[in-house]
Amino acid sequence: MKPIMTIGFPRMRHEAGEKRVFLPEFIEYVVTLGAQVYIEEGYGSRSGYTFEDYKQANPAVNQCSREEAFQQDVVLILRSPKPEEFKLIKRGSILVTMLHYPTRPKRVKTLQELGIRAISLDSIVNDKGTRLMENMKAVAWNGLEAAFDALEKRWPGLVKTDKTPIHVVILGTGMVGKHAVDAATKLGNIERNSDHIADSGPGAIALSVGRNISSNPVMMEKLMSQADILVDATQRRNPSKPVVPNAWLAWLPEHAIVVDLAVDPYILDANPPVVRGVEGIPQGNLDQYVFDPDDPKWDQLVPESIPSKHRRTTVTCYSWPGVHAEACMRHYAQQVEPLMDVLFEKGYNGLSLNGSYFERALYRATLKAWLSGEAEDSPQPAKRRQRSSA
Amino acid sequence: MTETITIGLARMHVEYGERRDFLPAFIARLQKYGAQVFLEFGYGSGMRLTEADYQKVAPGVRFVSREEIFHKELVLVLRCPADDDLQLLDKKSCLISMLHYPTRPRRVEFLRSLGAEAISLDSLKDDVGRRVVENLHSVAWNGSEVAFQVLRRTYPAPGMESTERAPVRVTVMGVGAVGAHAVQAASRYGDLTLWQSLATRGVPGVQVTAIDYDLTGREKPMREILSTTDILVDATQRPDPSKVVIPNDWIAWLPEHAVLLDLSVDPYDCIIQPPEVKGIEGIPQGNLDQFVFAPDDPAYDRMPDCVSTKERRFAVSCYSWPGLHPRECMELYGYQLRPLMRTIIEKGGIQRVNPNGLYFERAIGRALLSQFKVNSLKEI
Repeated sequence: MKPIMTIGFPRMRHEAGEKRVFLPEFIEYVVTLGAQVYIEEGYGSRSGYTFEDYKQANPAVNQCSREEAFQQDVVLILRSPKPEEFKLIKRGSILVTMLHYPTRPKRVKTLQELGIRAISLDSIVNDKGTRLMENMKAVAWNGLEAAFDALEKRWPGLVKTDKTPIHVVILGTGMVGKHAVDAATKLGNIERNSDHIADSGPGAIALSVGRNISSNPVMMEKLMSQADILVDATQRRNPSKPVVPNAWLAWLPEHAIVVDLAVDPYILDANPPVVRGVEGIPQGNLDQYVFDPDDPKWDQLVPESIPSKHRRTTVTCYSWPGVHAEACMRHYAQQVEPLMDVLFEKGYNGLSLNGSYFERALYRATLKAWLSGEAEDSPQPAKRRQRSSA
Repeated sequence: MTETITIGLARMHVEYGERRDFLPAFIARLQKYGAQVFLEFGYGSGMRLTEADYQKVAPGVRFVSREEIFHKELVLVLRCPADDDLQLLDKKSCLISMLHYPTRPRRVEFLRSLGAEAISLDSLKDDVGRRVVENLHSVAWNGSEVAFQVLRRTYPAPGMESTERAPVRVTVMGVGAVGAHAVQAASRYGDLTLWQSLATRGVPGVQVTAIDYDLTGREKPMREILSTTDILVDATQRPDPSKVVIPNDWIAWLPEHAVLLDLSVDPYDCIIQPPEVKGIEGIPQGNLDQFVFAPDDPAYDRMPDCVSTKERRFAVSCYSWPGLHPRECMELYGYQLRPLMRTIIEKGGIQRVNPNGLYFERAIGRALLSQFKVNSLKEI
């Protein structure tokens, strides 16, 4: 087995609001694995980090061009590189990133053609099928925080004129829905909640409903007419059908906030077409995730054929965890460290389903396991629809 | 590793309804990792497992007396044994069990006086403080399953399975780890088969209201919420167990058919001052022998005098909710324990586990009795 000698950290070149990079303490840890580290010039600059913060007088940490960062034995980057960037990676290199194999067949084909040995962070699952690299909590908390921020503009201190608790209706009772309940009852922010309690604020009530209620218009009208915040945390079985048709949004009070945690895009040329869970809302990103009803972006981001007559202030973001970049990367670093230990010890080709806990998890995320169907055989998530937790 | 590690697995001699023991597949793993495994006579019998069932997959396993079990290097038992048993531990032994260090100071002191090492299963935590061995999912799901079974009996006409009824209303107090599972479990009747069956027939579902401690103390909104609640769930983690969440007289606000579900398992203790009480005042503490209490159950008469029990509804409460489905429970615990036991065995014993080493070594380090004080201070 040829040992891993170098690791590259290219920047993520997505929207300007994407500030996430691995933090200096993670780079310090990677050096202990015995590799030379190559960091793209400007890495971390959007978060105020300089190269000196990363180097810390360590001779194993080097600054390099973007091309060089992609030329190392291992390339670690949270969000997948763009299609044209894959060819910067050396044949046989190990690319570790969120690749979403099940929903990105073109990407899988490219990786295969270029001979890239890929590990998809979103496919790293344990023997029970639980993802080891995920940040669902941040999806829910950051989304709810943005919603309460928006509501607070109307009601300072989040105290309504009738002083009743804020009503949050949460659609979906999966993992994100569970975190959303927790976040909703704490006003999306622990500090704000503590202040609210100290000021004897009325608090919030979270109503959680599954699909046997969300599919019933009579019950939904009753619930939505009293909702101050409506949260879509669903994982739909049929993504071509919205959970909340646009006409239903009229039932919400004018002041209500819609929170989109489901992040399905509009893909109208797919067969069948994919639509958003709440019909007629735009999809935001880290540059803009709050959309008021009169925002001109609404018409730019929602396809013309989708009904969008009824509008409420909407908070939506493809990458909710990225709203708090540092906290997010600290979280991911903790999750990825034991996996990197195994990768550097065993190498890509040494990984097997007969190894240790983390080795098995890592193996399931390899491109070769995906292509051979082994990733599908053991746990379930490879078959599930994907939710962007990156 | 120079010598083979010996592991003894003791039975749990608690209430009759406690049937749990680790499953043969887990025992086979321990042997595969290189340990010599000893099981107490009768191990697995509560789950109708025979010696042959274990020996079939783990041929080297030996059945021995309880006393002998406690002399092995590692002694594994889910619920903490009684003091008499603990006294059998060798000084070189390491007890692996649910020991609850923070709330059992007397137990900690006793174990230390024996000179033995211990690993508390409930203290095994990863780098971000998440428990590595836990079954909070079953706490919530098993409790909810029973609560809905009772509600089916108490629900007024047209009945809980009627397509004509309104959505069932569940109120969950506390939104920590158990509360979050309870929200999901309640929205599915605590029973996926029943959920699918009712949903298919078009029976309206369940509307779950989750509230945290900033609302539970407010009489006006609570009165409003309780008056329409079919199942009230206590999933709180109170910083002060002498303060109730629902005083007994508030129970009167609930509909007559309502069910009280206790997932918090705090006991009553009227000897200490101020007395410690359950979150919902006036419901009995159940166990695996009895976990459903009708309002006229004799258990109410046996409750301590410092507790008001005047207002009553059907209550469901159990100290060990996961034990309700023993096989599923032990399958999960076995799965969670595998990498930890492998680490200890492959390292050659607990003394060679480095608390600053790899992921699972660090988790074990945090759960060691010898490290307990240090870790507590760190957490503060």
